[in-house]
Amino acid sequence: MSVLLQQLANGVIQGALIALIALGYTMVYGIIQLINFAHGEVFMVASYGGLATFTLLPDDLKKSPAVALPLMFVGGILVAVVVAVIMERFAYRPLRNAPRLAPLITALGVSVFLQEAVRVFYPNAKSNLPYPKVFPEGNLTIGSVNISWTGVLLVVLSVGLAVILQTYINRSRMGRAMRATAQDPDTAKLMGVNPDRVIVLTFIIGAVLAGVAGIMFGGYLNNINIDMGFQNGIFAFTAAVLGGVGSIRGAVIGAFIIGLIKTVAGQYMPGGTQYDYVWIFVVLILVLVFRPQGLFGEPERVRA
Amino acid sequence: MSTVDTSAKRSALAPLGKPFAAAGGVLGIVAALLPWVTFGLNDGNWPDKSTLQFFDAPFLVTGFRWHVLLLGVLILVAAFAPVPSKGRVVRALGWGLTLVSFVNAAYITVKGGGLGAITALDGATAFGGVVGLVAGVLAILAGYGIGIEPVGEWKFKLSTPLAYLVLLLSFGAVLYAVAAMLTTGGVGSANPYAGAIFLSFLGFAAGVLGALSGVGYIRWLSALSEQHRVFSVVVLAACALLLPFTEAGNEYWMTVAANIGIYAATAIGLNIVVGLAGLLDLGYVAFMGIGALVAANFSGAATAYFGFDLPFPVAAVIAAVVAGIFGAIVGSPTLRVRGDYLAIVTLAFGEIFTRSAQNDIGGFTNGSNAIPGIPALSLFGAEFNKSFTIGAVKLPAGVLYYILIVLLVAATMAVFANLKFSRIGRAWIAIREDEDAARAMGIRTGKMKILAFLIGAMLAGLAGAVFAHKNGTVSYESFKFLESVTLLAAVILGGMGSIPGAVLGAALLFVLPEKLRDFEDYRLMIFGLALILIMRFRPVGLIPDAHRRAEMVERADENAEEAHVEAKKA
Repeated sequence: MSVLLQQLANGVIQGALIALIALGYTMVYGIIQLINFAHGEVFMVASYGGLATFTLLPDDLKKSPAVALPLMFVGGILVAVVVAVIMERFAYRPLRNAPRLAPLITALGVSVFLQEAVRVFYPNAKSNLPYPKVFPEGNLTIGSVNISWTGVLLVVLSVGLAVILQTYINRSRMGRAMRATAQDPDTAKLMGVNPDRVIVLTFIIGAVLAGVAGIMFGGYLNNINIDMGFQNGIFAFTAAVLGGVGSIRGAVIGAFIIGLIKTVAGQYMPGGTQYDYVWIFVVLILVLVFRPQGLFGEPERVRA
Repeated sequence: MSTVDTSAKRSALAPLGKPFAAAGGVLGIVAALLPWVTFGLNDGNWPDKSTLQFFDAPFLVTGFRWHVLLLGVLILVAAFAPVPSKGRVVRALGWGLTLVSFVNAAYITVKGGGLGAITALDGATAFGGVVGLVAGVLAILAGYGIGIEPVGEWKFKLSTPLAYLVLLLSFGAVLYAVAAMLTTGGVGSANPYAGAIFLSFLGFAAGVLGALSGVGYIRWLSALSEQHRVFSVVVLAACALLLPFTEAGNEYWMTVAANIGIYAATAIGLNIVVGLAGLLDLGYVAFMGIGALVAANFSGAATAYFGFDLPFPVAAVIAAVVAGIFGAIVGSPTLRVRGDYLAIVTLAFGEIFTRSAQNDIGGFTNGSNAIPGIPALSLFGAEFNKSFTIGAVKLPAGVLYYILIVLLVAATMAVFANLKFSRIGRAWIAIREDEDAARAMGIRTGKMKILAFLIGAMLAGLAGAVFAHKNGTVSYESFKFLESVTLLAAVILGGMGSIPGAVLGAALLFVLPEKLRDFEDYRLMIFGLALILIMRFRPVGLIPDAHRRAEMVERADENAEEAHVEAKKA
């Protein structure tokens, strides 16, 4: 029983991480129907950006987490946003009217490029890099369940940011423009919405969330590597699809379900943790086949 | 139509078109005769005595300077001879010249420790690289000045014997080019300049190919070869079988060529799924992996699952069938899932395969230890890994694998070509263009899509079976996501739905890493960048399929029209 509870807690933390990434997927897909494969790499780049920021800090600042941690967030998020904006401007925007497969393949190219760029140019990126210990230490113990404070912070950040995002999209002027563009870009244009600005903003919001996720991932697991983007990106995409692409609430709930499947199936299903990926992919396939609109999505529109 | 922006460019450059082209051509020729480097490299002179002094030995131009000379002459010819769509031709040749000059000048600069190496040092002058670059840029500008017109259309028909002759000569030239491409720069890392020489050669080849395509020759040739497709396949196979007799005929290049052939066959299979039926498959290499694993387990290797070995043809058939069954399973979600969601489903299947194989599922894959020691093939008493003698000619080891693979590729091509022009192929193309319309026309779309997956997977499984014996080891490492992306890139680079395109794409993508060992670290990064650039600038690929081309061109015109309207509004 205590094992199950512990795995459930771990699953919630994993889910919180995946949720932060999944929000970026779901928003971009909602607006321009692009599976932004490179979004996982934005998350990875942010993690390295945060690490680089820490490395560049003067020694006395490194010792005070209260200063170093916020600076790492700023650095990581900044890198993620810059990468996302460049990516949108030079890789995706020219292809906006191209056949459907073209941007998807471009996204694959961007993904490979970013991963390799970090591997080649970041010092020692070929092996796992340790992440600085500036995160809250110790565990929160409830009964037999141990949760690290970093994990708690991750869940709080994830849920909090998702709520803020939901409110922003539902209440603000720009949020309305985003919803309008998602529904019908041409009409939105006629109503005075600049789709380019909306799309860039979508990418920026996605990058900020992925940036937060990138830093927290490093803090939670204590080391990072260049493969983290691809793996977590796929999980996040699965979560976004599971929740219903385009739906903020769906992405978050989907992410928690994926996190729980990963830890619980890794514990109890045959094959153990080595097969936990497989169960996630099985769920992904089943969802796509039997309920492609996801749990909270609108019924499927006709897709080319 | 799309006349707006070209006419704007024309107004500025139009009067300068011909003079620029003439200047570019002349400067190109001069550049070839100028010295290029001011010092001797540690490993000996930069290829082929590029320190020659101006006019010391004007007829002793070799290596990349021969290419520069040729490009210069071609630019001059194209500028003054009546060539269809002259602007395109001059522009392509200009790009070739620029690339060749850039690669060589950059390499010399880097090796020589600064710009002094290509300009002046120790009182000597070596402006070859600079002049070549200027000539190239001038020719590109000249191309825009003359005007970029649509690719030339060659309407005339040939009588059959004449068409055969043209095809023979053209494919012979292809054979020569392939042999040259394989051997330039020498074997592996034996020549310290290999990477640079090869890149320079690629620049030259790209320039010439671009010019041929601009003139309309390539389009005409591909139409011709589709008209006489049986003859074309036979000639191509014959040409390929002649490769061991060229300078590429040693063990090393036979091995490389055989590997390329395996991936080419797989790429053709993928081309059925992606190019014809329009179903994006991101986990395709898994079928090749399944085929390889099946063949490995029936091969009698020490760690094989089955304790007995089957003759290769039987094992290959079983491999193809098993892969085909998995193909049908992976394809079955297509009944309900479309577009990029389908791509994700295939990706998920691919990842499930990798994970399962890594964990030695059912004891079939031996996990991360792989299945080593798969015996080399031996059919009709011939050992495939030994060298081989026909009469007086001794052929290098590995040549039999090469021949087997050429036959495999030829068979795959034949299957592909016949399917493409059959009722099934037309159904696939209809599904690709508009699935709902296809269904309305009475095509059973579900059945057809699963069939596409099944046939594609069978071809991949067959290629995988050969792969297992050829390489002697089968590990899940060879069949990961990146390989799927590389295969997809090969199909797209070559041109979706086009047969020679898939072979060309696979050849380029799998020979490049062999050639660019110097740049090994940057290989994948360049690959990613290349994917982005291809999608941006030439989404139809190098040798586009006729149908595909029509579709893309139309769309491009629509976009141009929209842009035109918007420009008017602004």
